[in-house]
Amino acid sequence: MENVIEVQNLVKKFGNFTAVDNISFEVHKGEIFGFLGANGAGKTTAMRMLCGLSYPTSGSGIVAGFDIRTQAEQVKRQIGYMSQRFSLYEDLTVLDNIELFGGIYGVSKREIAERSEQLLEKLQFTSEKNKRVKDLPQGWKQKLAFSVAVFHRPQIVFLDEPTGGVDPTTRRQFWEMILETAHNGITVFVTTHYMDEAEYCHRVSMMVDGHIEALDSPQNLKLKYHAASMGEVFDLIARGAKRSD
Amino acid sequence: MAALKYLLIKEVKQFKANPFLPRLAVVFPLMVMLVMPWIATMDVKDVNLSVVDQDRSSTSEKLIKQIEASHYFHLKTLNITYEEALVEVEKGKSDLIMQIPQGMERDWVNGQPVEIFIAANAVNSTKGSMGSGYLNNIISDFSTELSRQKGEVAAFPVKLSTQFLYNSHLNYRYFMVPALLIVILIALCGFLPTFNIVTEKENGTIEQINVTPVGKGEFIASKLIFYGVLGLFIFTVAFFIGKSVYHIAPYGNIGVIYAGAVLFLLFMAAIGLFISNFSITLQQAVFTMFFFMMTFMLLSGIFTPINSMVTWAQYFTYILPPRYFVNIMRSVCLKGSGFADLWFDFLMLFIFMAIMSVIAVVTYRKQQ
Repeated sequence: MENVIEVQNLVKKFGNFTAVDNISFEVHKGEIFGFLGANGAGKTTAMRMLCGLSYPTSGSGIVAGFDIRTQAEQVKRQIGYMSQRFSLYEDLTVLDNIELFGGIYGVSKREIAERSEQLLEKLQFTSEKNKRVKDLPQGWKQKLAFSVAVFHRPQIVFLDEPTGGVDPTTRRQFWEMILETAHNGITVFVTTHYMDEAEYCHRVSMMVDGHIEALDSPQNLKLKYHAASMGEVFDLIARGAKRSD
Repeated sequence: MAALKYLLIKEVKQFKANPFLPRLAVVFPLMVMLVMPWIATMDVKDVNLSVVDQDRSSTSEKLIKQIEASHYFHLKTLNITYEEALVEVEKGKSDLIMQIPQGMERDWVNGQPVEIFIAANAVNSTKGSMGSGYLNNIISDFSTELSRQKGEVAAFPVKLSTQFLYNSHLNYRYFMVPALLIVILIALCGFLPTFNIVTEKENGTIEQINVTPVGKGEFIASKLIFYGVLGLFIFTVAFFIGKSVYHIAPYGNIGVIYAGAVLFLLFMAAIGLFISNFSITLQQAVFTMFFFMMTFMLLSGIFTPINSMVTWAQYFTYILPPRYFVNIMRSVCLKGSGFADLWFDFLMLFIFMAIMSVIAVVTYRKQQ
C-alpha cells in the first residue's frame, strides 16, 4: 500500500520538555487516520511538524513525498490544514475567504468561481456568502474552515480537533463531510479526543505523554484490549498517563 | 506572484471592513496638521512685563509706549519698587522686569551713560532669553532714535542688519509643519502594520497563511505595499493641509519630497513588521514600537536641532533614518533643495530601507 506520510523517530523538545517523544508511523493513501490522545499528549505538536509549521528536534518525516525538514514549502503545496482555533479571516465574508485561500494555492479564477458556487450550494451557504464570517454560528464556521482547507484539492488534509465545541448534529454532518472527502481520494489526518469519532477512522493511533502507545484499526484495537468501545480502549491505554489534565 | 494579488485584495477588504482604521487614517493627519502647529510653537509672544519706572519722565513714558506697541509684550504691572515687581514674577504673573533708574532723562540730556536694568525669569529659558533679547532690541532702537533727534551720531555706530534666509519672518510653523508630516508617518506607518500582523498572530490567521505555500517575501510585500500606499495617501492629505493652511510652499520639487517619503514610510513599515515578527502579543509590540518612536522623534532633529545635541548623540543620529528624511523635508520645503544637494540623505535612507526590509523578511519564520 502506498504511504503518503512516513514518520520515523520524530522528536520535538521545547527546552527540557519533550512534547513529542520519538514517534514513528505511516499513513496510507486515501485513509482516514485518527490521531488520538488526551489534551497535552502532543498531537497538535506532531501535526504542526507534519505541516511544516514547526521544525522537528530530531527524526524525519516525509509528507506527500517531501521532507518536512528541508522541503516544508513543497509539503505545503500538497496539503490542507484546519487548525484547532478557527483561523479564517473573521472580518471578511464567506466568499472572500474562499477566494483568498483558493487564490493563494493557485486555483484559477474561473475554477474558484465554479467550485465556490458548488460548495456554497452543497453547504447551503449561498444566501450567506456575503456575510462576515464572524457573524456565522460556530458549527457553520467549522464547516467553512474545513471546506476551505480542501478547496484546492490537496493530497492530504490535516484536521486538528475539527469538531471541538460543536453540537452532536453538526459533528455528525461534519464527519459525513470528512468521509466524502476521503471517498474523493484525499487522505485525512485527524486529531480528536472524542473517542466515538475514532470509530469513523480506518486506523487510529493513541498518543500518551508524547509516545504512540497503540496503532491499529478500531476493530483490532477493541479485540486486543477486550473492550466494547474505543473509549474503553483509550481508558486502558491512558491509565499510565502523567500529563493528562 | 499570483498570491500577492490575493493578499493585497485581502488587505484592502480587511481595511474597509474595519470600523476604526479608515477613520483613524483621515482624522489623525487632520488633527495633527490642524491643531499641533498652533500648540507646538517656540515663537515667544505675549511676554508679561513688569515695569519699575523710577524716572517718571516723558522719555521713560515714551519708551514704555514703544514697548507696549510691539506685540511681544504685555505690560502687566507698573510697580514702584523692584521688590514689588519681583513678587509678581514669583507669583508667575510676570516674566520680565524692566527697571528704569531715577534721573534717566536728565542723564540722557546731559550725555551721561544711562543704565536700564532687565531681570528675566529663566525657568522657561527660551522665554527668558528671547524676551530679554526683544526688549534689548526695542531699547536700543529707542536710544538710537533719541540720539538722532538730538542730532548726534548714534552712540553705537555699527548698525547690525540681519536678513533671515529661507524663513524670512522666523515663522516657527515653517519649521514645525514639515516635521509634523514626519511625525505622522512615524506614528501611522510604524504602528498600523505592527498592529495588523500581531492581530493576525493573536487571531491565528497568520498560521493559516504559514501553512500555505505563500512565500514570506510575498506576505511581507503585501503588507509593505498596502501600508506604503496608505501612508502615501495620508502623507498627501497632510501635505496639502500644510500647503493650504500654513502656506508651506515647497520651494523645491514636490517629486523630491515624495521620493523621500516613499523610502521613509517603507522603512517605517519594515521596522514595524520586524518588531511584530518578535512580538507574541499586541502589548509587546506596542511598547517596543513606542521605544523606537520616542527615539526617532527626539533624536532626529524633528523638534530640536541636531547641532545642539551632545557630540555622541550627534554621531548616534547617523544611524537613525528619520534624521535623513527630516533634512530632506526641511531642505526641500524651505530652501528648495533638489536631489543633487540631498544625495547623501537619499542614499542613506535607501540603504536603511533596503536593510530593514531584508531583515523583516529574513526574521519572518513560517516554520518554528
